[in-house]
Amino acid sequence: MSVRTRPWVKHFALSSVPVAAIVLVAIFAHFGPSAGTWRAQLPPAPGWSEFQSANGIDEFGEDGYFIRAVQHGYGLFYYTTEYAPRFTRRTSTDAVHSCSGCHSVEDLAHGLVTSDRFDTVLRKRVSFEERVMRCYAQHLDGFVPTIYDPAVRDLRILARAVGHHLQLSEGVRRQKE
Amino acid sequence: MAGWRSRFFRIGIILSMLGAFYLVALASQAERDQLRSIDVHLTPTCSEKLQAYGLTVADEYRSPYIVKAGGNPVSAAGYTAEDVRAIQRGCNIVDDLQGHLSPTGVRERWNATRFVRGTHTTCTHCHQSAGDKHDAEGKRPVGSNNLGASWVMADMYDRFTGMILSNELRQMQCFINSSNGFKPNISDDVIRDVTAYSRFLAAALDLKMGVRYPEQGLDEIPASATSRRGDDYVRGARLYAETCASCHGPQGFGLVVEGRAVYPAVAGPHSFSTDSRMNFAAVNTIMPGFICRNMPPGAEGSLDNQQCRDIAYFLSTLPRPAGDLKGPLSAVWQQAMMKIMPPLTRYAESIGRGQSLQSDQ
Repeated sequence: MSVRTRPWVKHFALSSVPVAAIVLVAIFAHFGPSAGTWRAQLPPAPGWSEFQSANGIDEFGEDGYFIRAVQHGYGLFYYTTEYAPRFTRRTSTDAVHSCSGCHSVEDLAHGLVTSDRFDTVLRKRVSFEERVMRCYAQHLDGFVPTIYDPAVRDLRILARAVGHHLQLSEGVRRQKE
Repeated sequence: MAGWRSRFFRIGIILSMLGAFYLVALASQAERDQLRSIDVHLTPTCSEKLQAYGLTVADEYRSPYIVKAGGNPVSAAGYTAEDVRAIQRGCNIVDDLQGHLSPTGVRERWNATRFVRGTHTTCTHCHQSAGDKHDAEGKRPVGSNNLGASWVMADMYDRFTGMILSNELRQMQCFINSSNGFKPNISDDVIRDVTAYSRFLAAALDLKMGVRYPEQGLDEIPASATSRRGDDYVRGARLYAETCASCHGPQGFGLVVEGRAVYPAVAGPHSFSTDSRMNFAAVNTIMPGFICRNMPPGAEGSLDNQQCRDIAYFLSTLPRPAGDLKGPLSAVWQQAMMKIMPPLTRYAESIGRGQSLQSDQ
């Protein structure tokens, strides 16, 4: 019996296309390359436990959400190619392939508290988030995330956590060592 | 041939429209650049505050406030002329969002009225003294919604939205709910200038990153902080009439003098929406906290916890704009109530007054 004689088969085939598309999106969201961003529990990046205790991350933030964001920020900062592969063309074989290649986390914290100032080169006031976006595009030879992207937000939250640990005030500059 | 002409004509129209949009965008950008570069006319509150905190163009910033308090201020990065103007504009926005005190009107506030529906709203109604309230002894009162303290504690998990809220997102919520308005873009000058001002306050008060200061946010008052008599809007109505109505009006519509809200509406079309955290029916701890810690001006702390909860409960029964989350039916209902209830209430109160006069006689 041909398909022409059974229209319900054609109807079923057509209606299953959007269902299959939704299922595929759900599977991608679950197993996709950035899946770690969306999960409730992140597998810790190497060195996270030491960083967590050294910077008193558990003593700051009223909940696990904040700590999880810091943890993701830590991954972005030290393992950028793994945590933000969408926004960089660099690979782990490049000499500089993560934020930590140029900055320390203390630099990042001081960068946050001295941000939102006029930049004489760019001729405008530049926020911390814009600096991060520029880093992705220029120093990491990649692409600009949106300002809402966790790849930007969680770096700011990492900077905030370290800033709290260092008890930084607004505008404090890093002392030259 | 005619088909080609028609197609060419349509493409021409589309290109002309795109070109016009581009020109409008360029003109808007040029206007913003010009506004960013002109001197700022400060409101009296901002002039006094920023002068006291020593805001000037310099390579280094040391807070005179901390020096005066006997402390040793940290050496912070100074401010350029562009930074100073952004901070000044931010203070003006907080103190006078609607531009009533500006010689050039709301244009100097980045036309911020496009983000609010009512004509009363300004940030300083909730964030008093331009977001930096001090008592007679110069101390920052508990639960006084200090903007500097909010900046150092931004990026925390927010239990109402279930999100980690940045300072900018929190400001957007203020526009949507407390101002019953619309969300500015995160990079809009309105948001950025208020952030610049909040950060300057944090520097002037030498607030440490991530420290929870008592003046941050509102000091919430749950039912457990009362003697558990239960909240009562009838008691609240009486208390409101005795303590609040002289400023906010008998029906909570506020007091407007020469187009400027001297006392803001706490009900009616110019008030915060039902989605606001100030709405007792939505969150029953925040409005009582605001009342107890900040009202009435000059006599803060004169109301006890239960009285504050009763007043907040009464206020939540008054008609106000429906929040966006409530849907269109609720919006229509609230609009109808805002039209119907005021005359009905006036009529009911006039009957009550007549009966009380007769009984007195």
